Amino acid sequence: MIQLKNLTKTFDKQYAVKNITFNLPSGKCVALLGPNGAGKTTTLKMIAGLMHPTSGQVELANGVKGDIRKYIGYLPQHPQFHSWMTGMEFLHYVARLSHIPKHESQKLAEQLLDRVGIADAKNRKISKYSGGMKQRLGIAQAMIHKPSVLLLDEPVSALDPIGRRDVLNLMEELKQETTLLYSTHILGDAEEASDEILLMHKGAIVESGSLQDVKERHQVDKITLRFDGNMKAYKEKMEEFPFVTHTDIQKQKIHVYVQNVPEARDVLLELVSKEQWPLLFFEVGQTTLEDLFMKVVNEHAMADHL
Amino acid sequence: MQWLTIYKKECLESARNYKWVWVPLVFILFCIMDPLTTYYLPQILESTGGLPDGATFDIPTPPAANVFMMSISQINTLGVLVIALITMGTIAGERKSGVAELILVKPVSYTAYVTAKWAAHVTLVLLSIFVGLIASWYYVQLLFGDVSFIHALSTAGFYGLYIIFVISISLFMNTWTKTPGLVLFLTISIIMILNLVTSVFSHLLEWSPTNITSYLPSLLRTGEVGQDLWLASLFTIVTIVLLLFGAIQTLKRKEIV
Amino acid sequence: MLLTQNVLDIINENIAIIAPLLIIQLVLMITALVSLFRAETTNGPKWMWALIILFINTIGPIAYFIFGRSHES
Repeated sequence: MIQLKNLTKTFDKQYAVKNITFNLPSGKCVALLGPNGAGKTTTLKMIAGLMHPTSGQVELANGVKGDIRKYIGYLPQHPQFHSWMTGMEFLHYVARLSHIPKHESQKLAEQLLDRVGIADAKNRKISKYSGGMKQRLGIAQAMIHKPSVLLLDEPVSALDPIGRRDVLNLMEELKQETTLLYSTHILGDAEEASDEILLMHKGAIVESGSLQDVKERHQVDKITLRFDGNMKAYKEKMEEFPFVTHTDIQKQKIHVYVQNVPEARDVLLELVSKEQWPLLFFEVGQTTLEDLFMKVVNEHAMADHL
Repeated sequence: MQWLTIYKKECLESARNYKWVWVPLVFILFCIMDPLTTYYLPQILESTGGLPDGATFDIPTPPAANVFMMSISQINTLGVLVIALITMGTIAGERKSGVAELILVKPVSYTAYVTAKWAAHVTLVLLSIFVGLIASWYYVQLLFGDVSFIHALSTAGFYGLYIIFVISISLFMNTWTKTPGLVLFLTISIIMILNLVTSVFSHLLEWSPTNITSYLPSLLRTGEVGQDLWLASLFTIVTIVLLLFGAIQTLKRKEIV
Repeated sequence: MLLTQNVLDIINENIAIIAPLLIIQLVLMITALVSLFRAETTNGPKWMWALIILFINTIGPIAYFIFGRSHES
């Protein structure tokens, strides 16, 4: 549907988005997942045409380049409205701006307000709307011109649990009619509504694919151990085995990623008892998407603290 | 159609802001203040008895045309300030608050966005100035003597052109920064510098937009549009077009966020 | 005293001429007050603006319209 080609954005020589290329498939719901500051909002704004890429481009699948705004619906993270207007007036205004004829736009606005569940507030001034109502109005205005792609920037993260549930349900419905790309920093929200995920970190896409594929790809067997004292020596020793792909230390635990669980378990336990290492913890398990996400987030958090 | 949608929205906003009421009223006040005070000044001075006995009041009554021009110079200072104040946030404010993000992500032509806003402000301000100057003309007629209504009208027309120029500067500045206060500062600064330069080099800058005002007294008296006024007007129109074009281009290149 | 008395005399004699001025100032003030009462929020306390509109002739209402209305745009 939409292709991003080597999209890059720098601010003062710092990369906000670094050379990302992906194809947003038609009719899919894709979650752009990543910690705050990963470049999600910048990416969405570049697709929406609100920011200009430093290099690279956004193209529609049919080859249309340049001004693709009429194909795109966009909901910013904190949507702002002309708050002196009523919800109805604003939708009508936005519809007229999208070249929808007058008689249709009135009807369309009514329908959408009903659909997002704020029909009873349609003649109230937007300044009197609550945060959740504004978010719904924001979704309604993004959908008004029946865009081929709907971009939602953190559509649920500012909402209370009920509002969150409603918006997620709405997104579930929208998925049937349009291509959806939404950003979130919460793994659960990504898993819930999306068919595919794009994991962003420091401006780059570090992982992408269907939710199932990505999950499977990251289901590596691992053995987690914890020892008393400095663990570096133990880690190095274990790395020498042929069945170990790699190891790392996180939160005082050694994660040993292995290919053959039964063999690895026996060999490692034998080693521990023979060498009399001060074992505190031993667990056989699998990595999850959450591990991957946490790894990305932690790296990011650490980088921030340096 | 899109243009009309934005224009109507701007007018509706001005209505909800009471601008359609207060801006004309304020311009009427600006315009009638001087004719009234000039007329009553001798009487007020006399009544306060501030002068020693025997001193006679001999404040000559100014010619009617001069009094009408006083109204224009009142607009030229206070009026221009009010114009700059009411236009300073028209685009800058929308970008600052974030509404522009929702509007300009729609397939809105930047040309329509800029020119419709410009036209809405031109409508409001010109209407206010015309009402104000008609009120001034009425008082001048009543208190000082005859001024041709046709001459007053064409004077107001040419002055209106200068005011459109002022609005265009503000619109242009609106696309350069998101801070309305800075737009105000830049607009007023440009006008002041232009005034200063024009008054210092007036013999070289006959075509300067700010010179329009200095050609108006003779237009008002004789009803004849001098060559210099035509030249200045033509130059002003060209500058207005360039300012609008510049504003559209700037907005296109700027990131909306 | 003499001063105000005389000014009042002038006003009385010329009421037809001065009336429009007074009416415009009054309408401006009333519009500002209506706007103030209907506004949900203002920049600064409402009572302050009410005083400014009521007691500072002409400039008060203008100042309110320009600076007092918290921008809902």
